[in-house]
Amino acid sequence: MATTAAPAPINTPAGTSYAPGEATGIWSWLTTVDHKRIGTLYLWTALTFFIVAGIEAFIIRLQLMKPNNQLVSAEMYNQLFTMHGTTMVFLVIMPLSAAFFNYLIPLQIGARDVAFPRLNAFSYWVYLFGGIFMTVPIFFNVAPNGGWFGYAPLTTMQFSGGLNIDFWVIGLQILGVSSLAAAFNFITTIINMRAPGMSLMRMPIFTWMSFVVQFLLILAFPAITIALFFLQFDRFFGTQFYEIAAGADPLLWQHLFWVFGHPEVYILILPAFGLVSEILPTFSKKPLFGYNVMVYSGIMIGFLGFGVWAHHMFAVGMGATADTIFAMATLLIGIPTGVKIFNWVATMWGGNIRFTVAMKFAISLVALFTIGGISGVMHSSPPTDLQQTDTYFIVAHFHYVLFGGSIMGIMGGIYFYYPKIFGRYMSEKLGNWHFWSFFVGMNMTFFPMHYAGMLGMPRRIYTYDIGQGWEQFNLWSTVGALLQGVGLICFVYNFVKSRKRGEVAPNDAWGAGTLEWSIPSPPPDYNFAKIPYVTSRYPLWDIKQPEMTAELTHTAPDAGVIADAHAVPMHEETQYYTAKSLGIPMPFPTIKPLFAALFMVLMMAGLVFIHLDLFWVAIFVMIGSGAAFVGSLYGWLTSPLE
Amino acid sequence: MTRLPYRRLGAAMFIAALTLALAACGGQEYPNSTFIRNTEINTDIIALWDRILFMGTLVFIFVEGLLIYTIFRFRAKPNTPMPKPVHGNVTLEIVWTLLPVLILIPIAVPTVKTIFKTQAPAAADALQVEVYGHQWWWEFRYPQYGVTTASELYLPAGKTVAFTLRTVDVLHSFWTPALAGKRDLISNKTNYMWYTPDAKLAEDAFNGFCTEYCGSSHANMRFRVYTTTPENFESWAAHQKLSAAGSPAALAATASADSAAKKAPARAAIIPTPAPVPVSNVGYIFPESKLKSHNVPHTPIPASLTFDDALLASADAAAGHALVTNIANLGKAPCLTCHIIKGEGAMLNLSDNGAKGPNLTHVGTRHTFAGGLFPTNAANMARWIKNAQVMKPGATMNTFGIGEYSALIKAKVTAGLTDKEIADIVAYLMSLK
Repeated sequence: MATTAAPAPINTPAGTSYAPGEATGIWSWLTTVDHKRIGTLYLWTALTFFIVAGIEAFIIRLQLMKPNNQLVSAEMYNQLFTMHGTTMVFLVIMPLSAAFFNYLIPLQIGARDVAFPRLNAFSYWVYLFGGIFMTVPIFFNVAPNGGWFGYAPLTTMQFSGGLNIDFWVIGLQILGVSSLAAAFNFITTIINMRAPGMSLMRMPIFTWMSFVVQFLLILAFPAITIALFFLQFDRFFGTQFYEIAAGADPLLWQHLFWVFGHPEVYILILPAFGLVSEILPTFSKKPLFGYNVMVYSGIMIGFLGFGVWAHHMFAVGMGATADTIFAMATLLIGIPTGVKIFNWVATMWGGNIRFTVAMKFAISLVALFTIGGISGVMHSSPPTDLQQTDTYFIVAHFHYVLFGGSIMGIMGGIYFYYPKIFGRYMSEKLGNWHFWSFFVGMNMTFFPMHYAGMLGMPRRIYTYDIGQGWEQFNLWSTVGALLQGVGLICFVYNFVKSRKRGEVAPNDAWGAGTLEWSIPSPPPDYNFAKIPYVTSRYPLWDIKQPEMTAELTHTAPDAGVIADAHAVPMHEETQYYTAKSLGIPMPFPTIKPLFAALFMVLMMAGLVFIHLDLFWVAIFVMIGSGAAFVGSLYGWLTSPLE
Repeated sequence: MTRLPYRRLGAAMFIAALTLALAACGGQEYPNSTFIRNTEINTDIIALWDRILFMGTLVFIFVEGLLIYTIFRFRAKPNTPMPKPVHGNVTLEIVWTLLPVLILIPIAVPTVKTIFKTQAPAAADALQVEVYGHQWWWEFRYPQYGVTTASELYLPAGKTVAFTLRTVDVLHSFWTPALAGKRDLISNKTNYMWYTPDAKLAEDAFNGFCTEYCGSSHANMRFRVYTTTPENFESWAAHQKLSAAGSPAALAATASADSAAKKAPARAAIIPTPAPVPVSNVGYIFPESKLKSHNVPHTPIPASLTFDDALLASADAAAGHALVTNIANLGKAPCLTCHIIKGEGAMLNLSDNGAKGPNLTHVGTRHTFAGGLFPTNAANMARWIKNAQVMKPGATMNTFGIGEYSALIKAKVTAGLTDKEIADIVAYLMSLK
């Protein structure tokens, strides 16, 4: 119910990256349970890991620049390529997507936060501590070195007796906890906390794609968890799931891993697809073409994504029938993906296209993912794949879809949502330098790899001999990497400096149609002073540009329905208030999720001491941290949320 | 900047085109190209590839063309009216759902046909080759000929070869790009693959690579395939089957063998043996003159590994023979505990499956050694024996040079071989033709 006296707005100088009245300082960040702050933490951390993995890639490219190079040893190279892949997949792209899930989903559905704010914080801290656990070893030359998909039996104790693989196995288990907790959180949030009037088919398309991704996460992660538990128990407790001498079949690992691994790549791309689907309509001044089909194709991709995993295994000798089934399923999944490409083009068709930096990145996803998709179709045919698999042709393919797809889409999302998050625009000029360096550099690095692969260059080799026909392509790839480095520097500088010096942004920075643009930039901690009743798929356009949504089904409920739903008519909010003056209960900030995360990570990390021949230290750390973990959890669960 | 930056776009496209152009007409050889129809398997693969590439190019031109057209034609210009807010079109959705199907069916049908054709059982009269992957070298056995060798695979042109693929340790993958697709070597599993090198490949050499990450020296796990005429192949195989030069069995087999060796072959390993007899007929060896530059390894030798090369010229092959094959020297030169030299070391009873290192019976006839990593010559071999780990990261062969640091035992070698002893051993090994 409304308070008896009208709440007084807080006046502040515009363009502060904190909303007025918000707590500041490091403690406020350590104890935050606010989805916006947590999303921001994910963003900063993931971008830091992006730089780390980028440097690893850069060293790889310098080593491969010429044949028989001796810049890094074979051992260090093997750690570099393993960590580059592992970091980019688990510590960069997934958390960048998580940054957007966190920040955007509640705002897009008209909620004040996620269903479980403390669990949300817990997910972040587990990610941070797990990421540190996996990254620090490279400075001690014991980084994981079994490749990012860690095939057994290479990763068993017999062939990898050092600590390297232990960090990998335990680290991924830790990160799995983070992702799974977040997935349950967002599913609950999306199902239960949508604003009145927002049916599922009125949700913003980014929220829809994210929704599909959360189901992919909870269905796919168990497979890798099992695979990792088997490996962990083999390495630490003498089981024999992958022990060759005991007759184990290495394909057990491969099947378990790829049953996870293939849905994982759709986990990596669908959020970027969602972001692009928000950006293209905004800067074409047209609604998304074929919203329904875009939703269904996203669901189809998620569903079919569980049926294609063995296309990563066409060379292992599964037999002609299995090869055929997976080849056909893989070709099939190209159809919903192609449909999306056409819908994006149709969105822009007939529009008034503004080429902001965000728009350029979004368009580049459409262009580059198409190339990655075409090479993907080439892999889907087992006979041709036998010439392509495990070569640089594959490296080219997945970098086109992951860099040209996920990264470019996410970069677009960053430029697009930065004004909402920080209250200021990023510099378009620097953004253009960033975009063109990335676009040209990325093509320069990865296009020649198609050639190198088809001309015989295997993957994961720390060096190659002269005269094999690969020198030129490798040189081009390295030059492209330099260019990408330039882009990265422009981006980092832009990101950091625009927080204080960017042009101040209003609520509706770009003229978009969804709920997050109806509140101030940055949003106040309570998000919406009054939850609006959502009248169509583009509630903000309904009031600002009604001609855009004239042909959509609307609900125009009467005042009775709105009051019943405890909502108010759709409106823009431009003032800041305090949650207290509005009578909105806010969750208490608390350090307990951080402690729970820390002790859980320590408890799992303690296992490593066994391989350092410090058995009792391991027991002490694991049991002690376990007890502290349970204690923190108890404290967390028995204290009120708000 | 919200207007399309033509100059920047033009620059970007120019650079992209330049990249492609330079890549295409570099004028250098592409010896490992997968685009050459050297076997019927590759011919089938290339036919399928050509079709998929054609479809892919069509899709590329259509989609990218449509995209570029769209962003140019519909860029915001001053005084353009608000666009029509079109939300969708069912007909279009159906059309562009069916369109990919039309593209994919012509790919799917030949794909299935080619899968079953190329994975049919091999011809019954095929040449059998057993491939064993080791970290980080290739072992090849010809069961029909009783030949075991390493790093180099001789194949008769025009004849189907049926491979059985196994690994003794981790996963590997067997790939000669210019001949056919690859197949993985899976622990505790046997894989099968076959192809027929074209009959016109009478004297050609191809490079082969391990293509499944297998640890430290994955990049160094290479091999060569030599295609020969069937007659040359028979000559090669017939000789490779024989016992090693200078071994009691070989001596017994030659006309000039003395009767003492004939009467007591079993004790010959204990009694000092006569000096190795230079082999007059070594069977067919792929001529060095036919090796192209890309077939010859140019792996750099680590500068830290020194060897007195002068010792090689004056080395004593007989002394080397004694060091390697005399059981009394086993502590110093335990070569035969890991390597088979056929006809020697009978007391050790090492079998093909028990040998941890490559078969050295005719190592002198091989152009490369150490997993295809170095050209076979005395200087390289001497350094290899002195400190294999420095030559090849992770190598599981012991370090023998006195004073050398062994990465395997993480200590300096105190009991080992002097440079002189190594030179003698190398002279013996090089004589094993």
